Amino acid sequence: MAAAPYHRPETLEAALALLQDGAAPPIILAGGTDLYPAQAAAEAWMCPAPARRVLDISALSGLDGIEDRGEHHRIGARVTWAALRDATHLPAAFDGLRAAARQVGGAQVQNRATVLGNLCNASPAADGVPPLLALGAEVELASAARGTRRLPLAAFILGNRRTALAPDELALAVLVPRHGPGARGGFLKLGARSHLVISIAMVAGVIEVAAGRVAAARLAAGACSAVAQRLLAAEAAIVGRAADPPALAAAILPRHLGPLSPIDDVRATAAYRREAALVLLRRLVAGLAAPDRARVAA
Amino acid sequence: MPQVTLSVNGKSHTVEVEGRTLLVELLRERLRLTGTHVGCDTSQCGACVVHIDGESVKSCTILALQADGTQVTTIEGLAKPDGTLHPMQEAFREYHALQCGFCTPGMVMAAIDLVQKHPAGLSEKEIREGLEGNLCRCTGYHNIVKAIAAAQDVMHGRRSELARAEAAE
Repeated sequence: MAAAPYHRPETLEAALALLQDGAAPPIILAGGTDLYPAQAAAEAWMCPAPARRVLDISALSGLDGIEDRGEHHRIGARVTWAALRDATHLPAAFDGLRAAARQVGGAQVQNRATVLGNLCNASPAADGVPPLLALGAEVELASAARGTRRLPLAAFILGNRRTALAPDELALAVLVPRHGPGARGGFLKLGARSHLVISIAMVAGVIEVAAGRVAAARLAAGACSAVAQRLLAAEAAIVGRAADPPALAAAILPRHLGPLSPIDDVRATAAYRREAALVLLRRLVAGLAAPDRARVAA
Repeated sequence: MPQVTLSVNGKSHTVEVEGRTLLVELLRERLRLTGTHVGCDTSQCGACVVHIDGESVKSCTILALQADGTQVTTIEGLAKPDGTLHPMQEAFREYHALQCGFCTPGMVMAAIDLVQKHPAGLSEKEIREGLEGNLCRCTGYHNIVKAIAAAQDVMHGRRSELARAEAAE
């Protein structure tokens, strides 16, 4: 890797100005836990990527909090997985996202890696994507030329390592809309071991139970397609049903996983992933509907 | 070349580095603090764990420039100037919590942060989960977990001296 300039601006204006060089836009760095391992891996395989300037956003103010803004919670671009993991005050709808926070890398990676960086990195196995799809999150983007815009997460992540972030844009925050008071979130991940592992399959959901019935459900699966997917057919299969855990689990059928297109790779076969996603999804909805389900302790 | 100014084990340093220089390279190759190890180079193994402003991080995935203005503590900064070991170091010695020793600096640094973040104390299960970012390929976890359990009592002031390992162990 050749020497590349490094910028650590202290204002958003300065950061956005640095992104206006269309010929060679810098790579944006927050926690940095993906950037260096990706470069080291490329060099190990004898195909180093050309050096890019680095725009480190760690000195920008106003991006490091999880704020309750009424209609949504705003998770700034510098919020780490550790901060989210430890945010015990968040409503139960966030329990799935916080469970994912506990399973991203190990403690040291959680201390540095950011939630928004996980979305911008756009790995098919990004742990943050299914919980945030289930929460109906949006991403806020800013550029010097066009100001800010919001995109639903599903429109932000376009493919394997591809997002809608324009070369002159910086992702500022994830916005999580307010859910009903009965909404509960969950997340289940299957890996070859319990920790520090890339998912074979994972599922996340937010379910609202009212008067003993499933009033609303948002379900998503990750690591089973190039981009994590909402599972609308599975949602439709449980909404309106009595919140009886075994019955809800049984209501989810293999055909409800239609949008998934898992691949065969070193971690698992496509058939195994499909089966794993089904089992995880059934466990997830049963767990979320159980009336005595304790909230996940922090 | 850009400059980075940081405190390492209480001593201030200003060093010129390339943008690509990793914190672990700065520590090992420029400051000659070779107690911090590089195992996997991909933020998995945890041999390179140091503290930045008291929090454990993997120094092989942080640019040196990202540590500008921070207080870094490495394994060399734990013992007192007179050589008295930190309770965690003492516990690793007492419980023979190492075999080859390669992972040990990272284990000790990770363990100190883990214990400091849990003043109410950690169960064996919580210690094992808390070490998920540190790999020991000699399969030495058993004694590492015992050492951390013993050290936390001293670090939190529940015991004035480390509980001794039983002779049979």
